[in-house]
Amino acid sequence: MFNNSSANRPLWLIPLAVGVLFLFLPLLGLDYGTSRQVQLSIILALVVSGMNLSLGYAGELALGQVAMYAAGAYAAGLLSIHGQTDLLIQLAAAGLSGLVVGVLTGVPGLRMGSWTLAMTSFFLVLLVPDIISVFKEYTGGRNGLAGINPPTVFGYDLGSTGYYVAMVLVTMAWFAAMRNIVASRMGLALRVLKKSPVLASAMGISVYRMKLMAYALAAIPAGLAGALFANLDLYVSPESIGFGFAVTVLAASVLGGSMSVYGAIAGAGVLQFALNYSSDLQQFSPLIAGVILIVGGVALTGGLAGMGETTVRWLGARLAGAGNDNARASAGASAGTLDHIDGQPLIANDVSKSFGGNQALDGVSLQAMPGAITALIGPNGSGKTTLLNIICGFYRGQSGEISLGGKEMHGLAPDRVARLGVSRTFQTPHIPDQLTVKEVVITGRYTHEQASILGVLFRSPRYRRIVRNDERDAKRVLELVGLAHLESVVATSLPLGQRRLLELARCLISNPGAILLDEVASGLDENEIKVLSRILRELRDKGSTIVLVEHNFQLVTSLADQIFVLAQGRVMSSGTPEHVRADPKVKREYLGVDTGNGDQE
Amino acid sequence: MTLVWGGLALGAIYALVAIGYNIVYLSAKTFNFAHAQLLMLGVFVTYTCLMEWRLPWLLVIVLAAAAVAVVAAIENLVAVRPVKDVHNILVTTLGASTFLDGTVSLIWGNQPLAVSFPLGGNAIDLLGGRVYPIEPILILLVIVIVLADFWISRRFLVGLALRAMSEDPEAAQLRGVNIRAMAFGAFVAAGALAGAAAVFVGPKTFAVSTLGDSLALKGFVALAIGGFGSMPGALVGGAAVGLVEILAARYLGGEYSNPMIFVMLLTVFIIRPAGLFVHSSERTV
Amino acid sequence: MTKHRKPILEVKNLTTGYGDLVVVRDLSFEVYPGEITVLLGRNGAGKTSSLRALGGLNPLLSGSIRLGDVDLGRVPAAARVRMGLSYVQEGKRVFHKLSVEQNLLLGGYSLPVGRRQIEGEIERIYGLFPILKQKRHDKAGSMSGGQQQMLAIGQALMAQPKVLLLDEPSGGLAPVIVNEVFRTVDQLKDEGLAVLLVEQAVEASLEIADSVTVLDVGHTVFSARTEERDDMLDAVKEAYMGHPTS
Repeated sequence: MFNNSSANRPLWLIPLAVGVLFLFLPLLGLDYGTSRQVQLSIILALVVSGMNLSLGYAGELALGQVAMYAAGAYAAGLLSIHGQTDLLIQLAAAGLSGLVVGVLTGVPGLRMGSWTLAMTSFFLVLLVPDIISVFKEYTGGRNGLAGINPPTVFGYDLGSTGYYVAMVLVTMAWFAAMRNIVASRMGLALRVLKKSPVLASAMGISVYRMKLMAYALAAIPAGLAGALFANLDLYVSPESIGFGFAVTVLAASVLGGSMSVYGAIAGAGVLQFALNYSSDLQQFSPLIAGVILIVGGVALTGGLAGMGETTVRWLGARLAGAGNDNARASAGASAGTLDHIDGQPLIANDVSKSFGGNQALDGVSLQAMPGAITALIGPNGSGKTTLLNIICGFYRGQSGEISLGGKEMHGLAPDRVARLGVSRTFQTPHIPDQLTVKEVVITGRYTHEQASILGVLFRSPRYRRIVRNDERDAKRVLELVGLAHLESVVATSLPLGQRRLLELARCLISNPGAILLDEVASGLDENEIKVLSRILRELRDKGSTIVLVEHNFQLVTSLADQIFVLAQGRVMSSGTPEHVRADPKVKREYLGVDTGNGDQE
Repeated sequence: MTLVWGGLALGAIYALVAIGYNIVYLSAKTFNFAHAQLLMLGVFVTYTCLMEWRLPWLLVIVLAAAAVAVVAAIENLVAVRPVKDVHNILVTTLGASTFLDGTVSLIWGNQPLAVSFPLGGNAIDLLGGRVYPIEPILILLVIVIVLADFWISRRFLVGLALRAMSEDPEAAQLRGVNIRAMAFGAFVAAGALAGAAAVFVGPKTFAVSTLGDSLALKGFVALAIGGFGSMPGALVGGAAVGLVEILAARYLGGEYSNPMIFVMLLTVFIIRPAGLFVHSSERTV
Repeated sequence: MTKHRKPILEVKNLTTGYGDLVVVRDLSFEVYPGEITVLLGRNGAGKTSSLRALGGLNPLLSGSIRLGDVDLGRVPAAARVRMGLSYVQEGKRVFHKLSVEQNLLLGGYSLPVGRRQIEGEIERIYGLFPILKQKRHDKAGSMSGGQQQMLAIGQALMAQPKVLLLDEPSGGLAPVIVNEVFRTVDQLKDEGLAVLLVEQAVEASLEIADSVTVLDVGHTVFSARTEERDDMLDAVKEAYMGHPTS
């Protein structure tokens, strides 16, 4: 139970028990004040949970949750005033309203950088009272929306206890959904995105769509919370939905731990009781919220949930003892279990690119074939990295064609290029934090076989099948690179050599048409280079298309079947290692030496 | 014309906030969310010094600048410097701004307090509109600040160092520029400037504890419209926001001001994402 | 003969890298006043990383760096400039948005003197690179690569260094310009400056070198003084090509 991967699979048994406990709270005979605080905490927790999804998991600070909350509250309130008192219909409408506001504001907001999104979303919060005023015939303007009828379900009046139970059930349902999102491949993909947008798009994930999805999903609990609030007081006032509320939500999120599922409940509960239980404290609430934000932002990166998790892990480690170091048998790479890799020819034809007046690439052509290792070498500034970035879609060249398996792809966005089958590694390995080796590898399959969001939420049979495939393929590629025995280790703790192999495995799992390795040998010692070389030869023999972008001349000449030497934006020489090594131009320009002797192994 | 004066004067205040954001942004590539709250604090300090203690206004400028500079320094040491992940500065400076909001309303309450302008409060006729003397003075003040910035950043070594640092911090370091100290200095200087300018802002806005929040957002809109890092952009952006706000309120109704500003912001984002005065460049990996 | 002199820059067992990626291991060499020390090696051998560690941009993971009598171990980059260590990075990193003259002014930022003296210092640089005087009011970004390289060197000289670190001044320049740059470096050396030159252009830099160290994959594979070896070029070639790997 307490293996290393538990960090990413939030528990469900204990939270379920807590939820059931909450259900029976009214039986304990709480006084009005306390039960009201509990109800307000529940509402706050829903909004905070939405913020966790967009801030903690998608990494975007946006306070728009408050606007979505307002949309939900007014949607529910207006329905009720117009005779539709059924809570289920109101909740559906409120969730949908939140979603609409989320999408409408997310589309322009997410195109900008993080500062801009933060500010535009703040602005959105500021707009709420104005928009309510603009439509005052419907919303009651600054006087608030009065005359909301008590909620019903299928025609039955809920009563105060019934309504309380309904609130808890809705909250439990959302948190179950949130847990399912976070503990899914989508949760993994979000972590990749948070680590590095460049990495995400190189793995075929559309950064923009992923962020929009998280932001829009996060709108749903805010909308639901709005509906619950409208039916609690049977009155909605624009004053309760302002900037102060937005800051409270953020403070609760940071306090509870933004990158957590259940931290939202803890954070919301603490803030609700701390700030509002005693009216003496109310005037200090901005001070308290401010301090929480500062301290939380500086120190407590995991929030309360992080502290809880650390404790649980510590206890778990104690109970389990040090029995986790089993199966260290096959340290070297074994014969892989992937029989054949379906490599595609990668062809660049006459690619040119200039930055300002500087011609970085001038009519470069390159062919990399399946079953061969093709190396691209050249001094600093020769255009290697530029060419790599153009192939991967991070730059667009001024002219030229690039195709994989005959499909033209020059000028496509990086995530499209990746989905067409171009997979790459990075000079410094990009590994998301806190994921296990196996999970990191699985992220490479995210776009290879995609699951719908509904599938994720309800764990559909198709989703379960995809997850089984994830596991199976992850095992295979990890065996291929010799990391199978480390599958449940936290990936960022691996030494550099193994992190490079892990990146290679992550490429392989998507069954790529071509693999681009950017300085894959840099920083490795000779043993690690030997292991790497063996694996690369193995992959080549299975039919993979491999492109090495390298500094290490010796490695290249010993490994590559075909070498392209770039200098000043042109292909200066190309051919077999023997040919290139013997080329006097290469010796002079690239090695800087005019030598008569050949290279020696 | 009266409306235009009013709009431009308001815009000058937004430009002041945007300039403050800019100084911090140029020196450290981060934002101080609490900058508008620093300006607000300056307005309250002005109120106490000028209206309660009846100090001479030149002295008040010095006192307000000093007080706000000290608070800015504390903010930097507590909420900016210790933050490891740049993204978290969003959260911590927002925390600082909330804290300042709370502090101000605890000390001075929530009622708007009038601050009179030391150089006269009677309306005069100017270029076909009726204005209070504070209005053209605010506009002049912000223009002078931008010109002064232009002059300092070209003429003085420390200004050059700041520009160099915003272009390439590493290379600036290799020329002997202590970038940590410079970033701190810029942060505090932005605070001092906000404090000094607050003496002129108070008579226009009143001292009120919600001032920070609305200035923060509109100052940001001014900045985004002009382009991050551009001082003339801050001027133009501020004027645009001020004018739209006043004109929308006059012709459409007060509740339309903010939505119209928002529409303008989105329009600029769609047409020129980097702002009017900044050219966007190709991203590198 | 130089054995009796004191090195101005003394590097012992320098190990540096990024995070857990160790790029250079146990690099040792000395730099003397009035001499040019050349650090050679292929791409990725760790030359630039070594310079960055000397300049204070990369952490010193182990080993020591002494400038004169001072241990530079934990001294921040900006302070090293004041102590007399000027570093010209590769890729002509001048400030493109500033004018030539402003770039030079900034080069004198660390000098403990007044504005007037700094301006006098600028005249000295103009004497060294007359083209800069012609272009004094142009934006640095608008100049050609060779002119930017001269500006970068001039900017570093403004700080009146005892040691000048030069990272690939020949990179991306036409041979004529490279010759001019190297001639200037040679002239500076004759004035008593200690120069540490990192290069890929082997033959050109050997012509002006007083001592040579060759790096490969983070290790020193060759080190010698020019006067001790008549066959320097051959020896360096051998060091370049002869290092076996898998």
